[in-house]
Amino acid sequence: MEDCDLAVRIGKIILKNPVVVSSGTFGFGEEFEGFIDLNRLGALIPKGISLEPMAGNPPPRIFETEGGILNSIGLQNPGLREFVKKKLPYYKNLKTHLIINFFGNTQKEYVELARRFDDVVGVSGLEMNVSCPNIKRSGIVFGADPQMAYRLVQAVRKATALTLIVKLSPNVTDIASMAKSVEEGGADAVSLVNTFRAMAVNIHTKKPELGNTIGGLSGPAIKPIALRMVWEVSQAVKIPIIGMGGIMNAQDAIEFILVGASAIQIGTANLINPKTGIEVLQGIKRYLVQNRIDCLQKLIGTFG
Amino acid sequence: MIPLQTDGMVVRNGRIKSVYFLLGIYCPPIASQIRPGQFVMLKTSDNASPLLRRPFSVYKSYPVSHPEGRKRGHLFILYKKVGKGTQRMTTLSKGQKVNLIGPLGNGFTLPSLSSSAHCILIGGGAGIVSLYLLAEALRGRKCFVFIGGKTQNDILGVEDFRKLDSAIFTATEDGSLGFRGTVVDLFQSEAKKFKGNKKYFIYACGPAPMLRALAGTVTSKKFVCQVSLEARMGCGFGACWGCVVKTKHPKIPYQRVCQEGPVFRLEDIALE
Repeated sequence: MEDCDLAVRIGKIILKNPVVVSSGTFGFGEEFEGFIDLNRLGALIPKGISLEPMAGNPPPRIFETEGGILNSIGLQNPGLREFVKKKLPYYKNLKTHLIINFFGNTQKEYVELARRFDDVVGVSGLEMNVSCPNIKRSGIVFGADPQMAYRLVQAVRKATALTLIVKLSPNVTDIASMAKSVEEGGADAVSLVNTFRAMAVNIHTKKPELGNTIGGLSGPAIKPIALRMVWEVSQAVKIPIIGMGGIMNAQDAIEFILVGASAIQIGTANLINPKTGIEVLQGIKRYLVQNRIDCLQKLIGTFG
Repeated sequence: MIPLQTDGMVVRNGRIKSVYFLLGIYCPPIASQIRPGQFVMLKTSDNASPLLRRPFSVYKSYPVSHPEGRKRGHLFILYKKVGKGTQRMTTLSKGQKVNLIGPLGNGFTLPSLSSSAHCILIGGGAGIVSLYLLAEALRGRKCFVFIGGKTQNDILGVEDFRKLDSAIFTATEDGSLGFRGTVVDLFQSEAKKFKGNKKYFIYACGPAPMLRALAGTVTSKKFVCQVSLEARMGCGFGACWGCVVKTKHPKIPYQRVCQEGPVFRLEDIALE
């Protein structure tokens, strides 16, 4: 079992294994240290950071639907300055990659954040969120228009030498062309999918179940659509893909790898079983051994 | 304290009255560590329906050091059947495994040992279940327990609290048991008991309208009021920011019920 090579390359980073925990579902990491050894993960992506602190959306922010979760957290976060001062020191002894998820309201803010994180010690890479469904006038505009996304990524690319991953929205007609645009703009990798814009109604109060009315749907309910999107993108771009969307176990993860994902992210499942990342990692290893595959890279995109 | 994720074994599960059920779980690590006001997240199915864990106060718990051998390591959840998660919970049977995360949250702050403060416990409906462990921890101190509900079927725990020698007051909105009105109305009508300069620690748990009414009642400085909040939760351990409550502090407008709570000082939160 020790002989399997699970390492994958994402831009300039080599992940020791393909299991990454997704921004927004893993707090700042410290919340999980009683449950798992964080160092065993391929990479850790803390909650998304903006230039200024954000209060987030009014509650209720979460609602369970059939096989899924609707959320409208609204990117509540302490902002860049507070994050660097209060949260970053926690990662000092981390023996895995720290990837920072960030987002802005304007191109200038995106560029500023990328520039500021560029020389922060301990940061391996950046994941640019152009796709949160819960914020008006934010990334969603960039995330839905290939031309704007291209220009934005190009500008951010110039501001950082770190590995740059662009997290794509599924709320578009043609996700493959979005991926192509950000590849042309200079992204090292794409991660997909973020949540699907969705809502739920309470028939007794005749009101929305979320304080923000519309939220993002995640969980097993979205997996087949996410998988299809990862497959489409894998046929359109050459840069690595980090696949996500409703991954609950190793089988789900392997499906994403088969359709072309080099690495995967665990999101919603972290909230239910905080050990999911480690269990998925063990399951992938077992699968490789059982199928006599000595190297994970030989599995990527071998579907069909 | 760092929460654990662990399996427990169902030792009993049954209706105690109307829509209220008692679930007993053998889970020594959590039963030994849980403090009054803390909660657990319970996975009520091993599949995606329901998907998320559900938060529950622990009604009673017996550490492994408990004098009565057969109770050691057991914890009890008194729950109300309201939705899919709790419906599913009623089908759990003796010997079944359930997965828990806990102990979670901050718990109640007790008066210091040197303080002579009296305590007032106020529970609305199923809210009373988060106050029993507290009443146990307060044993030896003068305690007034106010228990309210819509009807007599919603009045829980009276016999248990009676064993702790607390003074018990009951209220039902339909008047089927005790005082007719809400539990806060009853507290107010008994307020003459709490005259003078004595300090009182008030501990309350119940629906938002009850806590709002309470906030309007306990304005005097001699009342220090802690409330335990309920919220829809994603994870229960601080990772998702899904369960927030609005605060009165402009710098931190929303705090997590699961992490900074579930117990808050009443004056710190903005009840809507």
